[in-house]
Formats: sequence, C-alpha cells, structure tokens
Amino acid sequence: MYSLLFKSFFRTKIFLVSLVLLMSVGVISIFIGKQYLVKQEKTIAAAQVFQEESIKKNIEYHSEDLGLLLYYLRFTLAKKPENISAISIGQSDVNPLLQAVTIRGLEGQKYDTDFENPSLLMSGNLDLGFVIIYLFPLVLIAMTFNLYSEEKELGTWRILAAQTSGKAGFLFKKMAVRILFVFVVLIVLMFLASTILQISMSANFWAIFLQSILYVLFWSALCFWMVSLLKSSSFNALALISIWVVLTILIPALVNNYVMNTYQVPEALDAMVEQRDGYHEKWDMEKDITMNGFIGAYPQYINYDVPEDKFSWIWYYGMQYMGDMAAKESSEEMTEKIMLRNTVSENVALFVPTMHAQLSLNNLAGTDMVSHLGFLNVLTEFHEKLRLGFYDKIFREKSASAVDWTKHDIKFYQAEHTFSWLKLLLPTLFITLVIGAIGGFNLKKL
Amino acid sequence: MRKNVIKLLARQLWQDAFRSKVMLIASALMLFLLLFSAYSGYENYHDQNFTRDEIQHEVQESWENNPDKHPHRMSHYGSFALRLKHVLSVFDLGMENFVGNAVFLEAHKQNTVNFSEASMSTGLLRFGEVSLAMLLKVIVPLLIFYLGFATIAQERENGTLKLLIGQGITRKEIVFGKWIGLWSLSLIFLISIFLVLLLFVLLESHNSMLTDSFLRYLVLLISYFLFFGILSAITILVSAFSATAKSALVKLLGIWLLFVIIVPKSLQAMGFYLYPTPSKIEMETAVEHDLIELGDSHNPDDPHFKALKDSVLLANKVTDVNNLPFNYGGFVMSKGEELSAEVYLEHQEGLYEVYHKQNNLERYSAFINPYSAIKNLSMAFSGTDFQSFLHFKDEAETYRFKLAQDMNQLQMDFIPSKGKEGPNTISSDFWKEFPPFQYHFLSIREVFKNELTSLISLFLWSILSVFGLLKLSTNLKAI
Repeated sequence: MYSLLFKSFFRTKIFLVSLVLLMSVGVISIFIGKQYLVKQEKTIAAAQVFQEESIKKNIEYHSEDLGLLLYYLRFTLAKKPENISAISIGQSDVNPLLQAVTIRGLEGQKYDTDFENPSLLMSGNLDLGFVIIYLFPLVLIAMTFNLYSEEKELGTWRILAAQTSGKAGFLFKKMAVRILFVFVVLIVLMFLASTILQISMSANFWAIFLQSILYVLFWSALCFWMVSLLKSSSFNALALISIWVVLTILIPALVNNYVMNTYQVPEALDAMVEQRDGYHEKWDMEKDITMNGFIGAYPQYINYDVPEDKFSWIWYYGMQYMGDMAAKESSEEMTEKIMLRNTVSENVALFVPTMHAQLSLNNLAGTDMVSHLGFLNVLTEFHEKLRLGFYDKIFREKSASAVDWTKHDIKFYQAEHTFSWLKLLLPTLFITLVIGAIGGFNLKKL
Repeated sequence: MRKNVIKLLARQLWQDAFRSKVMLIASALMLFLLLFSAYSGYENYHDQNFTRDEIQHEVQESWENNPDKHPHRMSHYGSFALRLKHVLSVFDLGMENFVGNAVFLEAHKQNTVNFSEASMSTGLLRFGEVSLAMLLKVIVPLLIFYLGFATIAQERENGTLKLLIGQGITRKEIVFGKWIGLWSLSLIFLISIFLVLLLFVLLESHNSMLTDSFLRYLVLLISYFLFFGILSAITILVSAFSATAKSALVKLLGIWLLFVIIVPKSLQAMGFYLYPTPSKIEMETAVEHDLIELGDSHNPDDPHFKALKDSVLLANKVTDVNNLPFNYGGFVMSKGEELSAEVYLEHQEGLYEVYHKQNNLERYSAFINPYSAIKNLSMAFSGTDFQSFLHFKDEAETYRFKLAQDMNQLQMDFIPSKGKEGPNTISSDFWKEFPPFQYHFLSIREVFKNELTSLISLFLWSILSVFGLLKLSTNLKAI
C-alpha cells in the first residue's frame, strides 16, 4: 500500500517543485548563514588589528601621560562567534557583535551600533530558521490541500471508497507519505547545516532540531484537520493560506505592535542626556561633589590628592564615572522595559506556534534580545575591571611603560544559554495533539 | 463597449462578492486591522514625537544654560539630534523602527544614530509590523485574488460565459466589466484607509507642512489606486487563462507568495550576499589610516600640520604661534575637524554606495514585480525610507560640523594665546546665539527623484495591464 502511495506521490508535479524549492532555498539559506559567520570572523580580526595598532600608535604620542593615553585607547569585548547562530540569525544583525570602549563613561558608548543596511534589517535574514518557519508550512499546504478533494473532484474517490475498507485509513496514509517526505527534507537540511556550518552536536542543536520537527508536525496536524473537514480544494487552499497569513504575519505583527506601543522606552533617550549632563556639569562644580561620589564607590582611592587649582586625572575620571551614575537609574529602567517586552512576547508565543518557534530558535542560537542584554551586562563588568586596573597607575602619574599592554588584547564574552525542554516543546506539542485529535475524530465519521 | 453593460457586469461582481462569506470575513477582519493599525500607528507617531520633541527642547535649554567657559568645552558638551517622524509614518512604518532615533553630536567624532526600536525589540519584529500601508500592500492583494479568482474561470466552468456571449455581450465588455467590478471592489478598502489617513494629515500637519504632506498623500493615493488596478487585471487574466477556478486560485496564491514574500526577501538577501559591507571597526580603521596619511593633528611632527603652521606664521609675519592675532589651538582644531569630517564622509559615501547596490536588486525588480514598486514608493512618500533617514543623518552631521567649527572660531577670536593676558573663558551669551537643531523633512521633489524607478515601473505596469486586458478581449475562450 505505502509503496504505491509513494510511487504515485513521486509522480506528482508538486513533489518535484517542493523538493527543488525547499532544497535550493534551504541550501542558499545555509550559505547565507555561512557568510554571516565569515563576516563575524572578519570583524573580530579587524578589531584585533585595530586595537593593537591604536595602542602602539597612541603610546608613541602620549607615552608620558597615562591618563591622556587612556583617554584615547579603546578596548574590545566581543561576543564569541558561535556557529549555531547561523541557523537563526535573529536580532544579532541589529545588535553589534562587539563593542570597543574607552575607560571614560560607558553609557555614551554602550549602545553604539554597527553599520547595517536598514533595508536588509527590515526584510530580515534568509536564514534556515526562515525557511523552516515560513516555507515548510507552505509546501505542506501545497501538498495536502487537495488530498481528499482532488479525488472527489476527479471522481476517483468513489472508486477508491469502494475498493478500500478503511477510507479514513487511506487518507491518513496518503497524508503520512507527504509528511514523511517533508520530514526527510527537513532532516537532510538540518544535517547539511550542521556539516557546512560545522555546528557541534550540542544540546542546543538537538533542541533546535526537535523544535523544528515539532513545528512542522504542528502544520501537518493543521493541514490534516483541514482535510478532515472534507471541503472543496478551493476552500482548503483559501483557508489554509489565510491561516498561514494569520499565523506567520498578522498575529506576530499585532503582538509586536502592541508590545512596542505598550512598553515604550523613552528611558533610553533620557539616559543618553543624563549621562552627558551628569558628567559635563561637574566641570563647573566644586571638585568635592565629584570626589565624594567617586570615593564613595571606590574608597581605595581616598589617599590620592585632588589639587583644587589645577586639573588632575582622578578628578577627570571621577567626573566620567559620575556621568554613568547620573544615567544609572534610567539605564536600568530601560533594560527592565526591554526584558518586559521579551517576557510578554514569550508568554503570548506559548499559544502561537509560529512565534514560539521563532523566539525559541533565536534563544537556542543565542541571537535573541536576552543574549544581547547579557553581553551588555558583561560589558559593564569588563569596563569596570578595565578602569580599576588602570586607575592606580593613572593617579600615580605613571607612564605608559607601567602597563603590560600585551595583556590588553581583545576579550570575548561567551553566552550561556539555558533553556527548559518542557517550555520549549510542550506548548507546540499540546496544540499539535489537540488539532490532530480533532482531525482524526472528524475522519472517523467518514 | 457599452457603458451600461459594463456597469451591469461590475455590479453583478459586487453582488456575488457580498453574497460570499469571503467578503464578510475579509471586511470584518479588515475593519479590525484598520482600527488597530490606525490607533497603534497614531499612538506610536504621537508618543515618540512627543518624547523626542521634549528631549530636543531639554537639550537646547541645557546648552543655553551653560555658564561662561572655554568654547572647546562646549564643543565637547555637544548636542543631540533626535529624529522626528513624518505624519505619514502613521500610514507606512517603512524602516522607521530599523533606523536609529538619536545621535550625540560632538567635536572630532561622528557618532552612530542609536536607539532604534529594533535594537530594543525581540525577534518578533522580523515577522513584520502592522500598518495601514501593510494592509494595502500585503493583505488587500490577497483579498483581491480571493474575490476575483473565480470571475471568469467559474463562469466558464458553469457555462454562463457562453450564455453571456450568446446574449450579445462582447468579450471586451465581459473582460472590462469584471475588471472594473473587481477594481472598484478593492477600492472600498483603499478609500476607507485613505479617509482615516486624511484625518491624520489634516490634524497633524502644521501650516508650512500641509501642502507637502497633502501632496505626498495624493501621490500615495494615486499609486495605490493604480496598484489595485494592476492587481485586478492580473486576477482577471489569470482567471481567464485557467481551465478551472481552482487552478486559477492556486496560481494566484502562488503569485502572491512569490511576489510579496519570497522574491523581495530573496533579492535583498542576494544583494547582501553579492555586495558585502565592512563592519564599523573596519571602516574606522580605514578612516584612521587615511587621516594619518593626510595629516594627524595629534602628532606634533606631522608634516601636513607643520607645513600649515609655517605658512600661517609666514602669512602673519611672526615667528611664534603665540604671537598670532588669533588663538592657534582653535585654528589647528578647525583644520583638523575639516579634514577628519571630509575623510569620514568620503568613507561613509562608499558605504552607502554599497547599500544602494544591495538595495538596487530589489528596487529594479519592480519591473517584474509591481509589489516592489509600491513598497518603495509607499515608504518614500511616507518619509520612512532609507533616503529620509540619510537626510536626517546629513542634517545632523551638518549641525555637528557647524557647532564644532563655530566653537573653534570663538576660540580663535576670543581665547588669548598661550602666555598672553586675558580670561580663558567666554561669556555664556555666545551659547544662546547658537541656533537649536531643527529637522526638515526631505522635499517632495527629492522624493520624486529618488523614486523615479518605482514610478516609471508602476506606470509601465498600468499600461501593460490595460494592454493585457485588451489582448484578452480578443481571444477569451468561451468554453
């Protein structure tokens, strides 16, 4: 029975079209991921060169004055590139891969962006995640919308019905053949991706793998349910495409609009202005105001002199620090708001498999918003460590030779992704089972 | 062609449409989406502009309230430029949320425009955004296909097409009657959305802007009007050339998916693949490299600035820079600023050149994909395209440059040279004389220039549609 069903399926035009479409777009998407990884590597290499050369050059000019030298020098913290991110590029094209910061105020540097073509950002990356989330359902729809209705419309259904004992079983098998084919393509693409992109078989990879399988299964159940209604081909096509539009375009976009409008982040702009004013106003104030704040945070520097009548680096870097402090509250509120946006989106996504698939793919690939916030947190720690490493030497008016510059190469941030299998798989699994059961129930009446 | 016959056929299409469930569901859905996107679009526009305007004022106030100080302190104090939204961004969000909103303007340095909504969003943003234009660009085309796929194919399947022709109605009348029926049906959506939009335009445009906004509005209205005409023609043509209504529907759905979702995205990705862009750090390295070649004002032995110094000394017939009639430090900084801005802008120009190449692939596809034409037109005339953003960036950079150079000039004029008598600060009155940053939107003439390709292709598509329908009128198969 199955071999016949396979044979007849392989002879259909839609089989060939789907195979060619999915495989070609799938492979293209993998290579786009590859290019993205290459660009990351190039950027990091460039940052490395930049840092080395700028240290060398600036030491040439300002070797006597460490305070001035460090006014110019920038130190890089980069996200460690992970090949798995090429599967789902997510928000990692909007957010920069690395940040090169001076030891002056961090707030003014933390949110600097990299260059990206906004047209590309808007249209989004054609990564494997896109192929899975958008194209696989379309192919499933194209292959199954007339599963029953075609036989009915061509008049072959009566003959079939007369010859098979289980009509429902027949439809189910016919469906299974098509779903199986889609799964095979998905699995082939997944393993192609893991080879071409050299992704290690970590828990995250398997989680992406399972989430994708489950997602395709969800669409299979939906198509199966639509078939089980025994409507005409035109109705099915119209209804399934409408469902696709609602699930992959309308609902996520509506939720996104809602989240963005409800949780606006004017704090971002406030923090930007507060940092500048918090720093600059100190130039015109008593030095004590700056020093009290600075020493309050770092009492270890209490013994350094702050001359009242002339410039000193401890005062200067104290003022810079005070700028960051002025923006601290707004900056934290901004982070909270962004996290809130994320939480609300994730919670809604539990009920919408398309959104859930996209967000969890990004999360597993380490390309989501939360991962970038993690980077920004570590950047703040990195910045403080740098400052504290240099302060003593600057305040003692040492020269550049007091620092071992070879230690100051580019540093990396390694994200830790934790995820819960239950939260990852359960929502889609539950929805799939419910829809599949309703479909099965409908067919029983056949 | 007889007018009343065409009217009759068109009316019949309306009646059929309103009898079907599709129209009912579609209208209900569209009404909900219209209300939602009008509300959320306006809320976004209003709230964002309110916040930005407020901060822009705050920034100016704090600038003016600075006490007497050295002008170079002020050029480091700097200013901010905040990007204001055009009122038509309520209609088409375009790239609004993918470009930055605020930039810090200071001497010596071109900062990036930060805090785009995208940088504060989750991955959901990539599913797209709901806006009034998105409904017209993405959803209504699908509805036109839904409502029109059966028009001719179904009539033929039922045999009614033969009857119509038998009754003396010409093929041309049938084709154009159906076309006008479908087109006018789609205009229900167009008109309701543009009526809502008109309200916003009238409400939010201040006298000076009203003409400009209204012109943009008109162009948008005409473009979408044509776009729907083209789509209706495509629907009629596909329906006429399909054996069954079912196959017409499948073809039309395929066309929609291909032209609205798959092709634009693939071409954008291909453009990116073909023309790689440098990262910021790579460009900064290149800029720094060029600057050192040309003249590094930080290097005391730099030949460029040494030669400059010698020529200045010679021209003023003095031997020491401290004896010059102006502050030499201010002079060197102004020359350095000039040089670094020039080099930076040159590299930036190169970067934008690459962006244009990346985007052109999709832009020129308008000749085979009318959706691309309307997409680019719609963004541009709503003031939410890339060019509008670049215009903001240019204005911000011009302001930054002027700020830095004005401060340098003040230093040259009023700060005494080293070893000379006099205060090291100047009066705070000077700060008040420096005008605030004011953003002006791109003029509509510029927008026309930028969107010439899209306009031409939309025009060609319109002609092609009529031509296709005329052709169909001669060889429409009745059976």
